[in-house]
Amino acid sequence: MNRHLMRWEVLLLLILMAELAIFGMMNPRFLRPSSLLFGTSDFVQVGIVAVPLTLVIIAGGIDVSFASTVGLAAIAFGIANFFGLPLPLSLAVGLATGAAAGLLNATIIRLTRLQPLVVTLGSLYMFSGAATVLSGVVGASGYEGIGGFPEAFTALGYAQVLGLPMPLVVFLVFAAVLLVLLHLTRFGRLVFQIGQNAEAARHSGMPVFRVQLVTYVLTGLAAALAGLMLSAYFGSARVDLGSATLLPAITAAVLGGASIYGGQGSVLGTIIATFIIGYLQQGLQMSGVPSQISSALSGALLVLVVALRYGAELLRDFIPVRLRRAD
Amino acid sequence: MLDRIARDRVATLFIVTVLVLLAVGAAAPGFLSVRTAGIIWSNGLVLMLVALGIFPVILTRNIDVSGGSVLGLSAVTLGLTLNQGLPLPLASAAALGTGLLAGALSGLLVAVLRVPSIVATLGTLGLFRGVMLIATGGEWIEDLPEDLKALGAKSFAGLSVMGMVTAGAILAVWLFLRSRRGGWVFVTGDNRAAAHHLGLPVKRIEFLVFVWGGAMYALAGIAFAAQIGFVPNQAGSGIELRAIAALVLGGISLLGGVGTVAGVVIGVIFFTSIDTSLVFLRIPAYWNDLIGGAMLLAVLLIDGRLRIALEARDRAARYRRSGHRISSTRDLEDAA
Repeated sequence: MNRHLMRWEVLLLLILMAELAIFGMMNPRFLRPSSLLFGTSDFVQVGIVAVPLTLVIIAGGIDVSFASTVGLAAIAFGIANFFGLPLPLSLAVGLATGAAAGLLNATIIRLTRLQPLVVTLGSLYMFSGAATVLSGVVGASGYEGIGGFPEAFTALGYAQVLGLPMPLVVFLVFAAVLLVLLHLTRFGRLVFQIGQNAEAARHSGMPVFRVQLVTYVLTGLAAALAGLMLSAYFGSARVDLGSATLLPAITAAVLGGASIYGGQGSVLGTIIATFIIGYLQQGLQMSGVPSQISSALSGALLVLVVALRYGAELLRDFIPVRLRRAD
Repeated sequence: MLDRIARDRVATLFIVTVLVLLAVGAAAPGFLSVRTAGIIWSNGLVLMLVALGIFPVILTRNIDVSGGSVLGLSAVTLGLTLNQGLPLPLASAAALGTGLLAGALSGLLVAVLRVPSIVATLGTLGLFRGVMLIATGGEWIEDLPEDLKALGAKSFAGLSVMGMVTAGAILAVWLFLRSRRGGWVFVTGDNRAAAHHLGLPVKRIEFLVFVWGGAMYALAGIAFAAQIGFVPNQAGSGIELRAIAALVLGGISLLGGVGTVAGVVIGVIFFTSIDTSLVFLRIPAYWNDLIGGAMLLAVLLIDGRLRIALEARDRAARYRRSGHRISSTRDLEDAA
């Protein structure tokens, strides 16, 4: 019992509740169910990319290119739509673009054996460059958006399922699928094992590359999903749709307990961390802090929490073992 | 030939850069001139300073992605103090001090609290950008005095003051890394535990490379403000990623302990010449990221494959000498 209570996720949940309580005291309007629920549409896209990113990090990799993939997939969708493809096909084009981006990342990482950070840094540029060039194809040069979506699509951004906003439902369903995939399946155990020690995993015959490939493709797909949702929400596909997700998504994964060295992490932690970061930004904005500053302050939160976490581990090294056992 | 290319990244990249410049020169007459060289140097100043700051950090097998934010924060400090009426030397000192403090905070997190450097500096990246926005209230800083802009203008032998400072910084890093203590930086990055057992002050080394990084980003901030004459909100954002990309191109290993100052310089110049060439070829600026990113990935891919092939060949040679037989190069590749 004690073991379950002392989990990182429980602490995160306490932080989330404390945060909601503080903002609620400052501004009672904040705690209204409707504003809590519908406010999520502003930040769930961070969670959508953060959850598969958690898998990538646990498997010992990292991906920073998703921030550009969001825009690239949205632009691909916009172009498909522009040339008159039916909506389901256009959506498929967008998702396929995201999956292809993840496939490219994993393949280059495998072929070069370089650190994933380097490779995805390169693709971060290339994807955003490709998106900018592509958006020029249909005459929406620079950072202008591609609009003119069918009514059925833009309605999706504001649709409700069982009284919940559509983006939140998409996030929760997607996260639930990955939660099961990571924590309850053979594939999930492979992810952890490969992150613990990729060499040992390879020598014991585990399909290291295939598992890592799946994690990158999932991240690409999720980025595309986020891009499509944001396009529906804003009514236009822009190149820079995802640039604001880079820092918060990595923050959410790390805050959620994923170890940047691989082998550790949890989907549930990332989900809770997403809400902590999202509501922090919203609470600050409702208290009159400009949005640029509030998004930057999620960086401060990351520094604080991670410093506390590592500082606590450091402290534990100084406490004698016997004392700890008695505890 | 293959040996040369894979083992000497600096020479390879130098040849590639020269070839690219020659090709552009053939396509756009008037490109190959001393003036263009000057343009490339001054266009690359800010990136060069940031890269010089990250370089020692990467040598110790850490990474610092907060460079762009520190640059912005220092530039804002400079702009605000100047507009308060402080003389330029004092304002520059304030900017430099900001950079040192910012570097010290990242260094503290990494060296003392043992937070993984990518996580720590991602946090400080957001933190410093936030502090900067609070300091300016989200406004741009304009109307900077003329004597600041003079720092970015050419003054002596075709070099600006900041150009000379950058050249000095390159020389300083080169001299330091050749010294005894410079060697400590390499050792720490190559094998931290071994460095610790040898009695090297590992924590102090790690802390100090982050402080050095902060100082360089501050200089980059001063150069930035001097060159463009105002400080926008987004000053420096994303430049740390460009700098890391340039370093990787220049053969600096993110695994620590490997890299040369010549690699830093040629990596930055390569990146800047691509951008400058695009201007000369009248290719719209929005192609920059695509071409830069594709080139980076192509270089990494070719370089990575070459390295793997060489390792496989070396190993095959070793096995042959010891009398073992190899079934196929495929196995070797997998083993590599």
